[in-house]
Amino acid sequence: MAQVFDRSSNALARASLVLAGLIVIALGVTLNSLQRSPWVTRQGQRPDQPVPFSHKHHVEGLGLQCQYCHTSVEKSSYAGIPPTKTCMNCHSQIWTNAQLLEPVRQSWITGASIQWIKVHDLPDYVYFNHEIHVNKGIGCASCHGRVDEMPLMYEQNSLQMEWCLNCHRNPAVNLRPTSEIYNMAWAAPSSVKPVWCATNGTAGPTAQQVGCVTRDPAASNPQVAQLSSPTGLGNAAGLDKTQAEPGLPAGAMPVNYVKFTSQIELGHYLMKQYHIRTANELSSCEVCHR
Amino acid sequence: MNETLKATGLPMYKQEADSSATLRKDNQKDGVAQVVNTIAPAKMTLAEVRAKLDGKSGKRYWKSLDELADTPAFQELMQEEFPRQASAGEWVDAVSRRGFLKVMGASFALAGLAGCTKQPDEPIFPYVKQPEDLVLGKPMYFATAHPFPTGAIPVLVKSDAFRPIKLEGNPEHPIAKGKSDAFTQASLLDLYDPDRSQFPRFRGEQADFDKFQEGFAKAVAATKTGEGVVFLSETITSPTLAGQWKQVQAKYPQAKLVQYEPVNNDAGRAASKAAFGDYYDTQYKLEDADVILALDADFLGGIGFPGFLPMSAAWAARHRFDKDKPMNRLYAVETMPTVTGFKAEHRLALKPSEIDAFASALAGGSATLANPEAQKFLTAVLADIKKSGGRFAVVVGPGSSLAAQSAALTVNAAQGAVGKTVFYTETVAPLPSEHAADIKALVAEMNAGKVQWLVMLGVNPLYNAPADLNFEDAFNKVPNTVHLGSHVDETGFYSTWHINKAHYLESWTDARVYDGTISIVQPMIEPLYAGKSAHDVFQTLLDPSVSAYSVVLAHAKTYMTGGAAASGGAKAAGTDAAASAVAAGSSFEQAWRKALHDGWVANTAFAPKTLGAPKSAPVAAAAVSGIEISFKPDSSLYDGRYGNNGWLQELPKQVTSMSWDNAALMNMDLMGKLGIEENEAIELTLNGRKIITPVLMSPGHPNDAVTVHLGQGRRAEAGRVGAGVGFNAYALRTADQPLSAGGLTVARGHGLYDLCVTKVHNIEHRGAYAQRDLEHPESDKDGTYSMAGHEAMERSIIRYATYAEAMKNPDFAHTGTKDSNGTLVNKVGYNPQGEEVPHEDSFFPDNWRYDHVAVVGAGTEVLQNKWGMSIDLNSCVGCNACVVSCYAENNIAVVGREQTKIGRIMQWMRIDTYFEGDLHAPVAHFQPMLCQHCESAGCEQVCPVGATVHTPEGINTMVYNRCVGTRYCSNNCPYKVRRFNFLLYSDYDTESLKFMRNPDVTVRSRGVMEKCSYCIQRIEAVKIEADKNNRAIEDGEILTACQQACPTDAIVFGNMNDPKSRVMQRKAEERDYQVLADLNYRPRTTYTAGVINPNAELA
Repeated sequence: MAQVFDRSSNALARASLVLAGLIVIALGVTLNSLQRSPWVTRQGQRPDQPVPFSHKHHVEGLGLQCQYCHTSVEKSSYAGIPPTKTCMNCHSQIWTNAQLLEPVRQSWITGASIQWIKVHDLPDYVYFNHEIHVNKGIGCASCHGRVDEMPLMYEQNSLQMEWCLNCHRNPAVNLRPTSEIYNMAWAAPSSVKPVWCATNGTAGPTAQQVGCVTRDPAASNPQVAQLSSPTGLGNAAGLDKTQAEPGLPAGAMPVNYVKFTSQIELGHYLMKQYHIRTANELSSCEVCHR
Repeated sequence: MNETLKATGLPMYKQEADSSATLRKDNQKDGVAQVVNTIAPAKMTLAEVRAKLDGKSGKRYWKSLDELADTPAFQELMQEEFPRQASAGEWVDAVSRRGFLKVMGASFALAGLAGCTKQPDEPIFPYVKQPEDLVLGKPMYFATAHPFPTGAIPVLVKSDAFRPIKLEGNPEHPIAKGKSDAFTQASLLDLYDPDRSQFPRFRGEQADFDKFQEGFAKAVAATKTGEGVVFLSETITSPTLAGQWKQVQAKYPQAKLVQYEPVNNDAGRAASKAAFGDYYDTQYKLEDADVILALDADFLGGIGFPGFLPMSAAWAARHRFDKDKPMNRLYAVETMPTVTGFKAEHRLALKPSEIDAFASALAGGSATLANPEAQKFLTAVLADIKKSGGRFAVVVGPGSSLAAQSAALTVNAAQGAVGKTVFYTETVAPLPSEHAADIKALVAEMNAGKVQWLVMLGVNPLYNAPADLNFEDAFNKVPNTVHLGSHVDETGFYSTWHINKAHYLESWTDARVYDGTISIVQPMIEPLYAGKSAHDVFQTLLDPSVSAYSVVLAHAKTYMTGGAAASGGAKAAGTDAAASAVAAGSSFEQAWRKALHDGWVANTAFAPKTLGAPKSAPVAAAAVSGIEISFKPDSSLYDGRYGNNGWLQELPKQVTSMSWDNAALMNMDLMGKLGIEENEAIELTLNGRKIITPVLMSPGHPNDAVTVHLGQGRRAEAGRVGAGVGFNAYALRTADQPLSAGGLTVARGHGLYDLCVTKVHNIEHRGAYAQRDLEHPESDKDGTYSMAGHEAMERSIIRYATYAEAMKNPDFAHTGTKDSNGTLVNKVGYNPQGEEVPHEDSFFPDNWRYDHVAVVGAGTEVLQNKWGMSIDLNSCVGCNACVVSCYAENNIAVVGREQTKIGRIMQWMRIDTYFEGDLHAPVAHFQPMLCQHCESAGCEQVCPVGATVHTPEGINTMVYNRCVGTRYCSNNCPYKVRRFNFLLYSDYDTESLKFMRNPDVTVRSRGVMEKCSYCIQRIEAVKIEADKNNRAIEDGEILTACQQACPTDAIVFGNMNDPKSRVMQRKAEERDYQVLADLNYRPRTTYTAGVINPNAELA
């Protein structure tokens, strides 16, 4: 009986086996990278908004503070999208005829909302909370990127669960003094640009417990150093308490300033001072899902 | 077939008597699902039950008759992990599984991909001008009140972006103290009911309210005196509305107002009038009562009883076991077994006529009762009352007969309770009347053609008027009928005008609570459908341009003193107070704002009146022959007003655990006499009127009596939920005998009706372990074996003792004494098998360490959270408030009757009722059962995808987005508290329901397991607030939804690491025990064993 298959078909069979395996692997890799791709996560995409609002112009150019518009970021889970009224505070006076602002004026006249498209859109089963992050030393830029350099808003990070967990498992890499939350240009401390921090020994909200400065308090005039050390979140009470601390000679340097030259050192210091929960607690499911 | 039957409003019957077993087999054979209402429970016959019970005595627990009978068929059913859930198959409609798979094949392929696709664009709609005090994402709280005929319930409304999403009792109100009840909780769903009437109608066509006002005002003005104009209103609860009526009456002296509620307090009114010459309300201060006798008064059942909140709280406070304080003692005499009866130390089941006789004997003090059991009871009660020295109360309520009412007046006065525990005040309803007599007179007038305009304010007489009045005929003789109602209901449909009524959360009004304190009812939301209130209707005849707000504000000046604070003391409402308020507008403004903020107007409570001895002679009991019927409001639906409320329809009724149904309740003897089996449909005939109803055997029901519940059997107009559910008991009820009647006849031969009773859902086979128990019983040796009952006994699910036993051995829940045969003899339900396994012996370590202490700031320590719950079985009255509160808080879906029947009810907590002992006079124990948050939880160990995990704070948490629906966790849960979304139960489409949802809780989709989360969203919210301020969470700062609602403070939640927390104080008590402790799951929810205080003479 003649051979049905030629000898060469052995090679073909082997090759197709290998190929099938490769296809399966390739499919997996493709799906995996698809799932992580900007097409799914929308990282870096700029949706068409009714008004091409430029954060760069308003923040970097005009110096508006984040909370002027995002008013509830410190006190609610939701940072807040400004009402039309906020736009009209200025734009009833300037650029009153600009074509670009027509939707804003229409909204103001008709009472209908300006319909923005959500750029940072988490799945509905994720319960993200702004207030705790802002109050515990996560700056706006840590998640949202350099918004002050974005002419059109886009998502800097993927906002995928692995990205969240990167920080929740090791918050030290992103913690910064609460005084620097809204500082878009904050850079992690380095040996070139160290940070000095001191506790004032009080209980109470996180923001009032630690003061940090970026200039050497020992080298410069202590007054200057202290003036340049806002205690964060718009609350100067903590600093006053530092100065009023008994045992400190008037005008003398606070003795407990610690110098940090790396983010990890600073992060661990702040974790302790801010009473950041443990990685176990922070990465527990119910923190974000319920 | 289902649909057709439903549409015609007829009850559904199962045609073949004995096909259940066959059908089940069919299912298994070819996999074709059947319509589920043909799956009957394993049948027991009375003979079987009798045979089982014959010669048995002692302490037995059981949940349903089926298990008590313990037939082979029942055993077979119990082989399933989830009785019926499995046998029903997934599909309850007639779509075959194979057909479904075919159709779904393509969709599955797409679904796989859909999981990887990105979310659609989500728009943001910011405000144009944001309200000043609104912080989006943070709820706001406003005080208002839930008006109810028996007195308003002060509530605090949780509002998310100005949408009411949860109601709680007002925590600062002296009456509510933060507690609430099932009806108040569920009234939230009424607001968002998609079936609400959305516009006014004239002859069924959409019309304008203005047009009505114009036409009505003109027509009434034409009569000059208002002759022929009659307002038929529900109980007027608003002082302002009463004031408006007086104005209308002044303008049109011939106009009439008739108040009618099908469930009313006519007997109480009549008794009060006979005794004191006027209508008075009775207030009870049970905190000072050592002995309480409830005469057909279900004061622990819900707000259908006036003063439910303060009375149940006071009863529970005095019923806690404390070695230093004597416990109170509750006696109950009643027909239908109620929660009050089963919480009573001694319950006497009597027919309605026998209750009258009992009451007369009680009032007369003479002892001549035919029934020796009743005689013994009466003697003991009288002796106890005399001994108490005035520290007692005979409690009567809306369900009590005239004889009981006047007996209570007599005894309370004669034995000195008045002024100590019983107080008479003016009535909470501003215009008290006797409803049945009034509507009878009204119907006569209507029949005589004297009524030109019948304006019905919030009533539904075509559904619930007394049957003998033939209200429909009279109604047809009235040329102009106007109906103000929330739904186009039975009456609204046939009325000339229908006006859509605003919900109380949408409108301005005022109301008095139990003690007379006035609450301002303020709107929480712009009326969803521009609804109107009774204020607007009255104002049509006065000045249509004045809004309800202005009317309430103006009338508030009569009872709110503007200068009260300045003058150092509040004046009572009166004319000079009104004058001063007008003079000092600004201080009135302050008082008004304070009243709105606080939720009540200070110093408006009634002062007790001194009325002297009642003048009336005790009412002699009339002789009644034959079988008696007793009419009771439904424990879930009241008089039917909540018929279209899915939460309440699905809520298993108190004691009977019946859901989506009502039934004729009777005891086993009567069933035997009439030859009726449970679940049989029978015909009840009373005075020639007939209804067909299913039968439910009710342990503890008196013989020769039948109880039916009002409020079901609504017609198609009721709405998509309530239409065609159950039978309409109003069809038998007459104006003269609204509470009970004799001469009932019962006829068989109407097929079967498979009742929807949830209590059999959770008696599940617990495998070989339970089997071994049955074969080698340790203490329950001669038992009437029933699986759950046996387990309750053998494994000590229910533990309790008498006061004397507890005093002797406070550790009774954990120790037992054996007699010479080695049998445990004390009545405490203790068994070594029910004991906890010492932690050191366990192979399973704790999931986490819970002992972390953070030092925040100088000397401030924050203990790690380790959550736990404790439930006091002494205080739990089984009123269901917690269950409905849980529905609202956790976005729990309503599944409908068919799904409920096969055990797929979604509620996260249930109230288990364990009956004990004699079938004729059982004792019942209520046990709230919810996720126990076990430390070594079985569910966690079997989940293949880690969708249920242990948090570092000890909570067993459910991660919905991970769940793939294997249901292993539910199989492995011994408490059977996990709920699976077999189908897409959550309503994602109805717009109005979206407003209602708690935004902090995921709305679960199909294929996802869910369960009690200890209200994790509340915990997280408080945790974030505390973490922001670097402080510990204070005890009591987190209230779970069930705990917050509980009127008797039975549920306590808190941090188990804090020895000072209330939950740890409860857990530290000797009576604290775990349910099924021997499994070593180490539940965090524990129970406090009950202590009762029986009278030795009746024991």
